[in-house]
Amino acid sequence: MTKFNPDAIGENLLRRFAGRTSRRGILSRLGLALVAAPVFPLLPVSRAEAAKPDRTPEAKTAFARNAQTKDDTKCDYWRYCAIDGTLCTCCGGGIHSCPAGSEPSPVSWVGSCINPDDGKAYMIAYRDCCGKPSCGQCGCDNTDRATQLYLPQLNNNVIWCFGTSSMEYHCSTAMMIGAA
Amino acid sequence: MTLGQAKLAGMLLASVIAGAFAAPVLAETGEAEEATVMTMDAPKSGWFFVRGGWGSNGSSIFDSATGKMVGMIATGRDSDLGIDPAGKAYYVAETIWSKGNRGTRQDMVSVYDAKTLKLLTEIPTPGRLVIGGLKTNFVITDDGKTAYDYNFDPASSVNVIDLVKRKFVRAIELPGCANIIPNPGVGFSSLCADGTLATVAIKGSTQEITRTEPFFDAAADPIFSNFAYDRKKKQAVFLTYTGLISVASIGAKPTIGAPFSIQQAAGLRVADTKPLDINWYPGGMQVMALHRPTATLYVLMHKGEYWSPKESAEEIWAVDLATKKVTKRFPIKDGGGNIEITQDDAAMIMVTDNKNNARVIDSKTGEIKHTIENAGGGHITVVEPM
Repeated sequence: MTKFNPDAIGENLLRRFAGRTSRRGILSRLGLALVAAPVFPLLPVSRAEAAKPDRTPEAKTAFARNAQTKDDTKCDYWRYCAIDGTLCTCCGGGIHSCPAGSEPSPVSWVGSCINPDDGKAYMIAYRDCCGKPSCGQCGCDNTDRATQLYLPQLNNNVIWCFGTSSMEYHCSTAMMIGAA
Repeated sequence: MTLGQAKLAGMLLASVIAGAFAAPVLAETGEAEEATVMTMDAPKSGWFFVRGGWGSNGSSIFDSATGKMVGMIATGRDSDLGIDPAGKAYYVAETIWSKGNRGTRQDMVSVYDAKTLKLLTEIPTPGRLVIGGLKTNFVITDDGKTAYDYNFDPASSVNVIDLVKRKFVRAIELPGCANIIPNPGVGFSSLCADGTLATVAIKGSTQEITRTEPFFDAAADPIFSNFAYDRKKKQAVFLTYTGLISVASIGAKPTIGAPFSIQQAAGLRVADTKPLDINWYPGGMQVMALHRPTATLYVLMHKGEYWSPKESAEEIWAVDLATKKVTKRFPIKDGGGNIEITQDDAAMIMVTDNKNNARVIDSKTGEIKHTIENAGGGHITVVEPM
């Protein structure tokens, strides 16, 4: 049943890092997340995708079958397969740019989304832009492979504005990390 | 008039008007009136505490019998509400910043008197997860003496708060786990990313953490974080995205009962995780409600494909946990994302939708008893039987 175990990977990272650091400091906690965040995309979901390269319509989720690549201000833009929030592209920002005056979160949750143009899966980091009131434009809530709080790196309800000067949520971006 | 004076004058005027409206009896005698303030009854089993939707403040209290609002608790944005089992206080785990959207962060449990709804005190805590919408992040123990408050910064831990001395006790690190289940006489239990249930046995200033064998796949078929817990029976009821229901006995060594399919319980085909498998799936933020006296689980269901765990509901399914059968199915015309049920004999259901409207539904007949506009689109709390 278990195809991959993101928790074990995350926990190993945590333990290795914790062994070398003061466990109490926010900097170490944040540093840990910064170290761990780029590794999550490379490990768990990419393994899962590698194990099932089937890209036929029958193997795609409803979102992936209907996704488009032309308009990143729409909820069905392919990178938004697991986004929850308001799109920064509708708020004066870009697909990987925060609107002026807001600050990107250094950590994020991730999605593994299929680009319909080339049929390949890519890792997408959903980084929140923080420090301003909620933008309110283009609210989306897509849930491909989105899990619950005990697996936070794949949970899209968490406000990821950790380590920013304010935890106020403004909008979400969808940064390309690379091929899954 | 300065801005401050103008505001004060406005507030005074507003309070005079509010006082006039709040007067219990309309007495049109022409005599001058006094501004008064109402008090509340102790928390009632027929009340719904309804959160005002994402990003908004306040939990409105509605009487399920009348559909009328009886008061509001000042639950800050993305805070968590706990009800004192003795009915004397409400606890709000919340986070504020000294300058509104910036400045110094302050985390606390605010204690409100249940009768006056006035702030009694604030218990500072070292942090909490700012998320909202989850009823398993902040739980009060059955004896009302302790609160457990989940923190994620972004390492996960649980803050222990002494509600008698009204002070923070300590934090317990709990990597890879979240969502708290009270475990009387032991400590608490939590769901974990490796598919286990962790139990934290608190022994003074130390603790022992044990885990069950894995019983679910946290990545492929997760258990909804807003599960239900029956304090009298010490049982947690879990539901997965595909609709597998399992009942766990909570204790020093929790045991998990064999899962059964909600679709099969309704005489339908078991749901799958594969795409293009159209079936009925559970979905919503607060996806299910347990009527503890009758061990009946009410689940928000929609027709569609897998990976739709937040889809708005089309029906409510009533599952008899003893016979493992779906006994009733009620259509919901306007969708819904949160469901709760009163724990009295009336067993009234409330469903809120993303337009902030609520419906009070008779769980015996499916009849809509009250429609409440702008009730709040967030999750719903009820008084739990102890």
